[in-house]
Amino acid sequence: MRIWRHLLFALSSAWQSFWRHVPVTGAGVLSITLILILGGASLLLGHAFSQVLDGYKQRVSVISVSVADQTPLTTVEDFEDQLRLQPEVLSVRFVSKEEELRRFSEDPRNQQLIEQIQGNPVPAKIEVKVGRLGDVKKIDTLARHWRGADRTDPTDYQGDFITNMLRLSSWLTIAGFGMLAVLTVASIVIVMNTIRTAVYHRRQEIEVMKLVGATEWFVRGPFVLEGVLTGLIAASLALGLLMLAYRPFVERFQSELFFVPLTYDPRFVSVLGPDLLAAGVLLGAMGSYIGVRRFVRI
Amino acid sequence: MVIAPDFDSRPIISFQSVWKRYANGTEALKDVSLAVPEGDFIFLVGPSGAGKSTMVRLLIREEKPTRGRILVDGINLGPLPRRKLPHFRRKVGLVFQDFKLLPRLTVYENVAFALRVLGESRDAIERLVGDALETVGLANKGAKYPRELSGGEQQRVAIARALVPGPRLIVADEPTGNLDPATAWEIMQLFLRINASGSTVVMATHNREIVDLLRRRVVAIEDGRIVRDDRSGTYHEDLATSALRA
Repeated sequence: MRIWRHLLFALSSAWQSFWRHVPVTGAGVLSITLILILGGASLLLGHAFSQVLDGYKQRVSVISVSVADQTPLTTVEDFEDQLRLQPEVLSVRFVSKEEELRRFSEDPRNQQLIEQIQGNPVPAKIEVKVGRLGDVKKIDTLARHWRGADRTDPTDYQGDFITNMLRLSSWLTIAGFGMLAVLTVASIVIVMNTIRTAVYHRRQEIEVMKLVGATEWFVRGPFVLEGVLTGLIAASLALGLLMLAYRPFVERFQSELFFVPLTYDPRFVSVLGPDLLAAGVLLGAMGSYIGVRRFVRI
Repeated sequence: MVIAPDFDSRPIISFQSVWKRYANGTEALKDVSLAVPEGDFIFLVGPSGAGKSTMVRLLIREEKPTRGRILVDGINLGPLPRRKLPHFRRKVGLVFQDFKLLPRLTVYENVAFALRVLGESRDAIERLVGDALETVGLANKGAKYPRELSGGEQQRVAIARALVPGPRLIVADEPTGNLDPATAWEIMQLFLRINASGSTVVMATHNREIVDLLRRRVVAIEDGRIVRDDRSGTYHEDLATSALRA
């Protein structure tokens, strides 16, 4: 019962203090809202671009080995077995000359070309899917040393493209974490200052609390809850604005930068929602905890 | 009925060769020893800067002694861990010259605040605050705000707040310093009644008239040392009639 009464006291004090100092708490809420919008937007963008990157990765993680004409089927099968023994390889599939020609002719970009060619000039292929993008190079090296490979164009390995993509992916991850770290520190500092203003306004009350035997947590509780309230309101506002802006932004992006296959993913919003609210609560609690630590020391 | 101080039992306050040196090098207390039995009424007197306020701050563990031991109700305050400090402070009622009332709260709420901090139930708060306001003669002013009261009334509220958790020790630092002589005398009557009901009262004061009239125990401090401890003393030594040197 005593704990329940202390909790009620802390809640009512936090609520009163929040509304009594609306100009200060309001500024804090707005600042954190902006920060959480930036954080949320960077997560949404990061997710969208990682989807694009994943698409590219899926495509380039399959390497095609061109098989020279006249290569005996047994040689091809031996090489397929050799490939399957590689731990990096997920699957190996043989594509005959006929199937490859059919694929080639189905591509609308090849329509004019297909009318001019006679016979079947396209080679048979071995499609090898690897687990990690970085392992494609090893399969390429293996294929180039295989005697059954087509000498003119043994594989479709795009080394530079893969290297650049891996580099871009890791840079995006580092930049994302860096930005989140900066935003986290900024929000904590803002909450700290907001709560310190509240502490200043209530310094007399704190002094009396200490003198009549309040514990540190009894003094600190209302401020931590006020910080949580500030963070929660800011996170709700940020989430609402992001949900409103996400779809129109993606649609605008799709119409203007059509070559980047950015997509709207409503499932990610439902993942982002609880995360953003939790981040707001956590930032509010941390900022206020640190902000009042010195002042509540008995 | 006045309860006579119990000089034979364990003292409620015991200063044992206490020294206090502040960070700036000021030696505020030098080898102070003092025993206050339960139920005693003691005046701490002396010029400004003599060490009275330091003794008060040490008594409520706002400061730690540099050397020596301070025991309050058997608790050694020096090594007392911070987490146990709130429980210790609840044993001591504090009254200050500037009242330290919360202006946004009513008289009732100011007094109730001390009990809310302790997590008392609403029923208990209503009963105890009612009793405390009755004791200080403000039963009909519970709904007023401090700014609507006179200085004497505000000090009564502060006393009610100090009394309401039922402490055995009341520490007052210049409680009449902001009051006119007539009001100061009324406040002193209140402290005497509190003392008569069994609580020990330690009061730091500059109020010579009151000290001389009441003839209670007087501990005089000068330059950080106890220079006089009279069981029935006066503000200045030359007026003392029945001195009992410490």
